[in-house]
Amino acid sequence: MEVTEASLLLRRRLCDPSYIHSIFKSSPDGNYSKLKFIISNSINEACNNSVLLLGPRGNGKSAVLELVLADLKVEHPGIISVVKLNGLLHGDNNNGLKEIARQLCLEFDLPFSKMASSDENSELLIDILRECGLAHKTVIFTLEEFDLFTQGKQRVLYSLLDALQFLTSQAVVIGLSCRLDADQLLEKRVRSRFSHRKLLFITPLKDDMQRLLEHLLLLPKETNLSSIYVVEFNSRLYKILDSKEFKYHLKKVIDIDNNISNLVMFLYRAVCSMDLKSGFLSLENFKKAISYFHPYPKQESLRNSSILEFYILVCMNRLDAKEQISFNFNSIMNEYKAIMDAYKTSDNYTRNVCLRAFEHLLERGLIMLTDNNVRCQSIEFRPVKSLISPQELHQALKAYNPCPVLLLKSFNNECFK
Amino acid sequence: MSVSDSEFPLKEFDASDHNLQKASLQKPELQETRPKKTKRKIDMSSKNPLVDGDSEELTDQHYEKLRLCAFNETWSKIEITIKDVLEKINISLFEDVMKWISESFKEIRSCRGEFVRELMLSYPIVTDMICKQIPTALILTKNMEFVDDLSTFQELSAHLKLNGCHVASLSSIDFTTKKGVGGCLRSLLRQLLVASSDAADIFVLASWYSEQHNCNKPIVIVIDDTEQCSGPILAEFIAMLSEWIIKIPILLVFGVATSLTSLRKLLPSDALQYLQSCQFTSESPQARMNSIIEAVLVKPSSEFIVSHKVAVFLRNYFLRHDGTITSFIQALKVACSKHFYTEPLSFLCCDLVDEDYEVLLAKKVESLPRKLLDYAFCLPSCEGKMNNGTFKDLVQGIFELKKTRRYWSMVLMCLLEVAKLNKLQLLDIFCEAANPTSFKLQSSSHLQAPTAISNTIHDMKIHGFGKNGFINRIINKTRDLQVVQLSRILKTWEGYTKEICEIQDKLKDLQTLLNATDNDTRLKQQLSNVHRSTSRFSSFSGKDMMGVNEKVALLMEGMVRDYMKPIECIPFHEIICFSLVDMLQEALIGDPRKTIQTDLLHSHTYIQCCCCKDKNTLLPSMHDTSIVFTLAQEHGDLVNLHDWYESYKSIILSSRTKARRKFNKSPASKKGKVSSALSDSSNLNEATIQARFCKAVTELQISGIIRMPSKRRPDYVQRITFGL
Amino acid sequence: MIREEEGTPRRMTRSNLCEPKTPIQATSIKKTSSQFDQTNALPVSSVCMTLDDLHASLPGRRMQVEEILNLLGPLDSPMLPLFLYGGTSTGKTRTIVQIFHHLNRPFVYVSCLSCQTPKILFESVLDQLASHKRNSGNGYSSFKQCDRSSDFLELLRDAVFSWRQKSSNVCGVRKEGNGKMIYLIVDNLEVIRHWGKNSELLSLLFKIHDITRIMDLGLIYISCNAGPEIYYSSASSTEPVPIFFPDYTEEELHQILLRNHENPKLYNSFLKLVLKPFFRVTRRVDELSLAFKPLFQKYCEPLTDLSVIPDVSLTRELYQRLRPHIAFSLDEIFMVTTRFSADATETSEKTIVRKRNARKLVCEELDFHMSISAKYLLVSAFLASRNPATLDASMFDTKGDIGKQKRKRKNSETTMQKENTKAHEMLMKGPGSFSLERLLAIFQCITSVSDICVDEDNEEVVGDDNEVGLMSDVLLQLSTLCDANFITKGGSCPLESTRYRSSIDEDMISKVARTINFPLSKYLYRG
Repeated sequence: MEVTEASLLLRRRLCDPSYIHSIFKSSPDGNYSKLKFIISNSINEACNNSVLLLGPRGNGKSAVLELVLADLKVEHPGIISVVKLNGLLHGDNNNGLKEIARQLCLEFDLPFSKMASSDENSELLIDILRECGLAHKTVIFTLEEFDLFTQGKQRVLYSLLDALQFLTSQAVVIGLSCRLDADQLLEKRVRSRFSHRKLLFITPLKDDMQRLLEHLLLLPKETNLSSIYVVEFNSRLYKILDSKEFKYHLKKVIDIDNNISNLVMFLYRAVCSMDLKSGFLSLENFKKAISYFHPYPKQESLRNSSILEFYILVCMNRLDAKEQISFNFNSIMNEYKAIMDAYKTSDNYTRNVCLRAFEHLLERGLIMLTDNNVRCQSIEFRPVKSLISPQELHQALKAYNPCPVLLLKSFNNECFK
Repeated sequence: MSVSDSEFPLKEFDASDHNLQKASLQKPELQETRPKKTKRKIDMSSKNPLVDGDSEELTDQHYEKLRLCAFNETWSKIEITIKDVLEKINISLFEDVMKWISESFKEIRSCRGEFVRELMLSYPIVTDMICKQIPTALILTKNMEFVDDLSTFQELSAHLKLNGCHVASLSSIDFTTKKGVGGCLRSLLRQLLVASSDAADIFVLASWYSEQHNCNKPIVIVIDDTEQCSGPILAEFIAMLSEWIIKIPILLVFGVATSLTSLRKLLPSDALQYLQSCQFTSESPQARMNSIIEAVLVKPSSEFIVSHKVAVFLRNYFLRHDGTITSFIQALKVACSKHFYTEPLSFLCCDLVDEDYEVLLAKKVESLPRKLLDYAFCLPSCEGKMNNGTFKDLVQGIFELKKTRRYWSMVLMCLLEVAKLNKLQLLDIFCEAANPTSFKLQSSSHLQAPTAISNTIHDMKIHGFGKNGFINRIINKTRDLQVVQLSRILKTWEGYTKEICEIQDKLKDLQTLLNATDNDTRLKQQLSNVHRSTSRFSSFSGKDMMGVNEKVALLMEGMVRDYMKPIECIPFHEIICFSLVDMLQEALIGDPRKTIQTDLLHSHTYIQCCCCKDKNTLLPSMHDTSIVFTLAQEHGDLVNLHDWYESYKSIILSSRTKARRKFNKSPASKKGKVSSALSDSSNLNEATIQARFCKAVTELQISGIIRMPSKRRPDYVQRITFGL
Repeated sequence: MIREEEGTPRRMTRSNLCEPKTPIQATSIKKTSSQFDQTNALPVSSVCMTLDDLHASLPGRRMQVEEILNLLGPLDSPMLPLFLYGGTSTGKTRTIVQIFHHLNRPFVYVSCLSCQTPKILFESVLDQLASHKRNSGNGYSSFKQCDRSSDFLELLRDAVFSWRQKSSNVCGVRKEGNGKMIYLIVDNLEVIRHWGKNSELLSLLFKIHDITRIMDLGLIYISCNAGPEIYYSSASSTEPVPIFFPDYTEEELHQILLRNHENPKLYNSFLKLVLKPFFRVTRRVDELSLAFKPLFQKYCEPLTDLSVIPDVSLTRELYQRLRPHIAFSLDEIFMVTTRFSADATETSEKTIVRKRNARKLVCEELDFHMSISAKYLLVSAFLASRNPATLDASMFDTKGDIGKQKRKRKNSETTMQKENTKAHEMLMKGPGSFSLERLLAIFQCITSVSDICVDEDNEEVVGDDNEVGLMSDVLLQLSTLCDANFITKGGSCPLESTRYRSSIDEDMISKVARTINFPLSKYLYRG
């Protein structure tokens, strides 16, 4: 019973970014405290402000932001109101302004009219901001996918920042983006109104990782779980975490991709495969979790292709080796026929079948057509190129267990002679 | 004088004149003789009103009316027969398709039965691939031309509707990349749903189909021109349908004009594998054509027939130009109307088939005015035979005509029976059978002593009634027929040749003989089965089989010789037989690219102005475009704009004799820009000339005769015309 | 049984000629209608299958099934989004659906294949959440009009919430253990990639979990042939957990194909024969099963009773009979049955024979009607797009030009290299395009040359047919050819001449040329 509860707890943690990143609260020079400082001093000094949170995906920009906001709401009750925008949804002008107006109306329970034009909306925005300035209320705009706001004429950003420019209110604009050059995308008039304060979210360091693991996996003392179980669980976990083997696996995971979300996925898999009878995480769980990583997707789908498809790949490879600049299905077909005539074999199929195999390869994304079909002519004339290197192909051929000798031969005598 | 009469000469005139021009375009030496006959006829018909004054007006109008309604009557009859024939051809195909539909729908329902609970739910029903296939009927209309099949597919969908399917007929217009899949879904829904909703998605269709009154019928989608659909969209559509096939049992009917490979080229393999396809073939156009000819031209019931030349023309028009039944029927209609229009006596031929025909005809002929009677007796077919005959003769002649016609078609039907066995086209046989010259030769050759035949052989070759003539082929064919076929054929012949008793008798004893031989051959075969010496017996039986076949062949030859008299050898045949091939050709094959050019060269024949009578010199009074075009003839395929312009100007100004200094301008300046230089002494200045020149050249360009200057040669236009 | 199947429709057709009566007796209407009005909130599967049934129904997928079960976790456990991917017909959708049958939990399924616009996708999801059935009553309109993605997320949040209310209300009625977790399955994601302008839709779908923090909405994405790396650009901060479905191995295929056959022994012996050769060509279940269906019928033909247990000798004998068919259907991707079984077999035999000597060009007549001038036009179009325009003069020099051509051949043979490159270019650029004028010129040359032979072959019927020259109304024929896809037409301004290109393949054109006995090879320039 409590085992399922424990696993539920762990799952819930792993699925909840704000919990994951709450670990970075404590560190004094972390982004958390920086951001909090920025916002709170703009609240205290009653000045407008704007900041960019930049960093690769899954490093907890939005999570940290939420934590900060939550805490600030607790500290200054009633004077903070948040407007959340997402570039994906509210990227274009009137859409964004409308959304701002809607949320503001919701906040200060004013009547909101869908029909309002974008000018009216920006009017409303300015008015509200002014009011807030007088009433010493803070409005915080969070723009997720900040880079998407910079597409088009950037009217949302402009009207927002412009309002902040001359109004003596206390509003904060926080942009989140996974593009590190997000501020370079801004127009001049917008950039001039933007304070270039940036917080960079980099992937955590080694020891952070260690702390993060414990933070995520250790069962808390103060729950309705029986303390014996908790202690047992944690001690076993400590053993695993300290074990050499686990470190090795962890290193592999991090080598594949060292951002947090990848780690979380790894842990999630481990937790999911936790055996509910024993009720303890074991090293096997982690091993299994790592076994699910497919670092070489090409190889995977290459391994899945049939012999005929291999023949076609080999033919393309030969054509490549002959320094033919570009080739299409017809030339591949000639090559194929050449092989078939050279060595008598059972794998001599008609054009239709080969074309089907060719289409399969296209679907798998092992080869691609290099033109955008301008002359709208049939597929066999369109130039095509192979997306797998000879080495990959060679490995795949060797791995393919009933691989016909002829295939390897016709492959080798082109490449390695 | 009446409008109609005044119309005759003029129309006839420029029609024939046109043929002259055409001839000069194509093969002059062949054409020379043609227009004579028409000319003569024209004089005749145009002479009549001049002879007797406007007292005739009334009667003329009266006969106009008679001919008109005769035409309407005849043509409506023909139309109906054609329609019936085509329906008869199609119905079997339709029933096959319907049968197939109900069977495959039954299969789908059996699948539905298992998943009846899931049917309403959103997620796909887990089945194996076989159940995901869409039953698809590929109807091969064996004709690249698409026109005939449109009607076929409309009738098909009507037929299916009648048999209780939901039918939606899409076409290539719905499968364009612009509209995408949404487009075809929308039109699909618009046809199926009574209350059409704005949303066009498959879910609407599903929920519509799941309603009580819909869910026990199959949905059939008929796409009549599959080749023209855009492949990707069609593939996407198919993929979508295959996901829903169990929830929405949709069956596809594809019309494939050319061949299956075209479909294979159109669709990618994974789309193809969703089609559980089953092919039907509709009748080939030749077969349709044969049955139409048989019903319309061969059957004695028809009252309007065409001469040999017209038949040949129609045949070539069908085989060479466009193999569409539609255009053939149109040609027939044109011929018919022309016939009744030009032939004063043509109204006599209507209702030739009624039994109390004699009385009617007698009445009609009695009431004929003298003028028409004379006209009848100096028809080319009975010139010299009988002059200033009486009503009786005319009536008699027409009876004669009718009789021969009947015999002729009778023999032709007999021939046809055999021809069906070795796949000869009725059209060819018809053409040959209607050929008067060959008939004359042949009959003569039979009368002559065998020595004399040799010299006729050669002309027979020319006229195609020789060893390799179709009729001969058929006769030879009869020589090696099986017993069974032979007896069947004899039966059918008996059916045809009721009214000629001697043939009947011959057939009778032939059949008895045949039965006898048949019996003892059978007996012999039994013997041969008993002891294994088949060869001797078979050869023996074969020998006296030969005897029977020989007799039949002889009989047929006899029939052909005695009874198959082409209509054109009979006096008064003009009354029911249409022979003005030129008029028909004129009406059917308008040859746009050539006619444009010729007409530009001979513009004065149309603009019959007094100012430019002189044909072979260019006059400024002529139309600019024709001047420019005629000038362009002197150049090669590249025309230097400047020279062209100069020569044009010189012609325009040639009326004014005073010499004028030429401005050598760059062709760039001809682009409508008014040049400052004015030609002093004339009212038309440089600008006007240039403007006119530009206009003319542009017209030439629009009519596709020249192409504008290219980048490489900015000062040359390209002549892109052929056929002159 | 088959006879009766034939019997009924014939009766039906005859009856239908007189009055429009639907052929099929309305047997299952009641079932469907009862189906129709029970609008249970969401698909909760009727058949509850045990774990063993699950594994039995999904051969070769044990590993994936177990993993997915783990990841979904016990009842009401939150989860990261899942991402199922793998080759075509590797049982992704089937697996997930079966698993939900087994778990017996509510889910919403939407396949991008049947939604061609985001609007349709959104609305179908919302409809299912609100258990809204379209019918003629509501004019087949959806539950909510939802066009913009921002609206969608709002509505989604509300819908999930209200659904939870409803489910908790009717919880007593519903079977225990559906839980308050609801799953959203998005199938055929790869289709969206090609929608082009809707690329943000993809990232929206991936970010649903991030933006709307609905803890108890489980997201499951299914993508065919496109792994997570393809979607990386539009991935969200919490990447979905990838689960890979590899293609089936030969043994697995054997198991799968063997399922639900009466007389598995017989089918087993059959599979032993056919699977290996076909496996070399394709590994996709759907294609294999399609190919095997007719083959198995062939295989069974000699057998009288299908319940026979084949011994070795019988199998060998059957194999002897089957072998040509195997060879035939290995080379066929598009099976077309003819209506009547008799001539169907006949044709198949013929095609087999044809395949036997397939190496040398099979000659067979054109099986559809074309007018002669259309044929000539087609041939000239083919020549125009195969021959380089520069050689036209030498090719169609109306008096015998074969000598010239020969010489040209020779000195092109001397320079092997050039020839190769030229051939390669020919291969690459496919049929060349040509202007209307060039087409007409070639057409005229051809017809003028071959008028003689035309007259010869139908002289005996037509004394003088030259009055109907072929040259007239060519443009009509051209449009017809364009409609029949033999000639593709490049759009251009109507005044300047448009470019054409012949898309007909070699053997077809050779057939056509044969019907008008036109010496094609003489005029065709081989690079």
